[in-house]
Amino acid sequence: MAAESGVCLQVEVQAHHEQKRVCDSRAKYRDGRRPRAVKVYTINLESRYLLIQGVPAIGVMKELVEQFALYGVIEEYNALDEYPTEEFTEVYLLKFQRLQSARVAKRKMDERSFFGGLLHVCYAPEFETVQETREKLQDRRRFVARATSDKARNAPERKPEATRNTGCPFESSYPESDASLAHGSSYNSQLQHSSPTKSGSTVPFARIPEFNQSCTPHSFPILSDSNPVAHKGNFQQTTEPWPLEKNPQTSIPIQTNPSAAGSNFLRFTPRTTQLQERQRKREHRNALALCGSSSDNQDIVIGPKLPEMPKLDMDDPSLNMSADFIRDKLKKVGGTPLLPKLHNAAEDAQAEAPKKQRRRI
Amino acid sequence: VSAHSDRFQYLQALVTEFQDTDSAEAKEQVLANLANFSYDPRNLSELRRLQVADLFLDMLTEDNETLVEFGMGGLCNLCLDKVSKSHILASGALNLVINCLSSHREETVLSAVTALMYLSCAASHADITSAPVVECMVRFSLSNNRRLRNLATIFLEDYCSEQQVREAQDLHTALGIPLPHSTHT
Repeated sequence: MAAESGVCLQVEVQAHHEQKRVCDSRAKYRDGRRPRAVKVYTINLESRYLLIQGVPAIGVMKELVEQFALYGVIEEYNALDEYPTEEFTEVYLLKFQRLQSARVAKRKMDERSFFGGLLHVCYAPEFETVQETREKLQDRRRFVARATSDKARNAPERKPEATRNTGCPFESSYPESDASLAHGSSYNSQLQHSSPTKSGSTVPFARIPEFNQSCTPHSFPILSDSNPVAHKGNFQQTTEPWPLEKNPQTSIPIQTNPSAAGSNFLRFTPRTTQLQERQRKREHRNALALCGSSSDNQDIVIGPKLPEMPKLDMDDPSLNMSADFIRDKLKKVGGTPLLPKLHNAAEDAQAEAPKKQRRRI
Repeated sequence: VSAHSDRFQYLQALVTEFQDTDSAEAKEQVLANLANFSYDPRNLSELRRLQVADLFLDMLTEDNETLVEFGMGGLCNLCLDKVSKSHILASGALNLVINCLSSHREETVLSAVTALMYLSCAASHADITSAPVVECMVRFSLSNNRRLRNLATIFLEDYCSEQQVREAQDLHTALGIPLPHSTHT
């Protein structure tokens, strides 16, 4: 591994590092909000490794890493001294723990100004080891298998109708060939078996962001993710695409709360169980209220969004007031959600600040 | 109007423009759009209805290398979908994908290698690991281009038998399949 990382840092300028000329000749209906070059992203081009160019050479590595860590856990970071740069700038290589974090970070940080420089962020798959590439390909395989099998399960009767509607011979020829292949295929069946067990422990939390963000490297007008609510609902959308499409009038409003919606929906539960369940939830909520932490745990934590800071009761109205003030201030200053680490530090500071104030009095 | 029919209409507009336009530039842009949309499984049902897989396959025989690259990228994104996969295999297009292995464009070759791995199944396995392909992968696995080397190594280790690899290694001195141009040279 040590040898591997040594090799890792051989740096060469690659075509996909270059910033392509922005395309300014797109027809209006397919011209997105952000100017973009014409480029096709595949799983080969994506990577947990990001190359950050254009970082001002003023010793801001710590700030840079902190900024990027807002989008996910960073496993490694390096300055690439050998990489040719523009004058007074540096190039860094970051390795995220998850591909999804790298995607979001790239989208959010590319072309952002940073200490007076304009960052150019691109994927750097050439730093991957064979095993990392292999896992990336397998993850993609599993992800698509899950996404498509969800659809199939929810809409078994949809296919013939679609064929009728569109009169499309292409689709009608699918089922038999599909079936024969699916049954004969060792890879497919392997996948079907492995995906539930393998991902069992991580579902749904680890998977949801992928559903939500799978379109992120390519932001197009209709898939734009400007709306965080719609975004959260995407998981629901993927699992229930057919009713939405089939009948707009009765279409189910997008669920903002996946965990609240699906769980008790289909299963029959006796009245007594329901009441017990309600009671249990109420108690749980009360308990949380007593602890003073924010009660609404229905929100699934996605990506950089972290749970709200627990509100401590300082046992004194004036102390509570100053604690609130500090909390608000921190929120404003933070702007973006804080890291777990910073989080603790912030809490400590918060606990300490009022004490100091008291001493002064 | 539901998000799905919006999406369908949008994708349909792209396909229509692609077929109607005479501008090579617009063709490339729209093809890139469609290829990128293929990356998201949420678009799969719409893309199937619009027969976008066939559109991508058509591009593999174009003279314009950019169209080939984008078409191959689109296939690479699309071919994990079982329905599209069986359609691609059933239409006998595997050879078109294999031909892309000898492209001079890095991304085209990379997309082709990945697509071949994703298209592999019991029915297609023999064609995908035919001697010339394995031999080609052996060469790629010795390339200076790390991305290509990684993919070829995975292909040889995960999809080929040891014997296949050995035979290809013996053969590989005899045949001369050109490596894609590395981008930095």
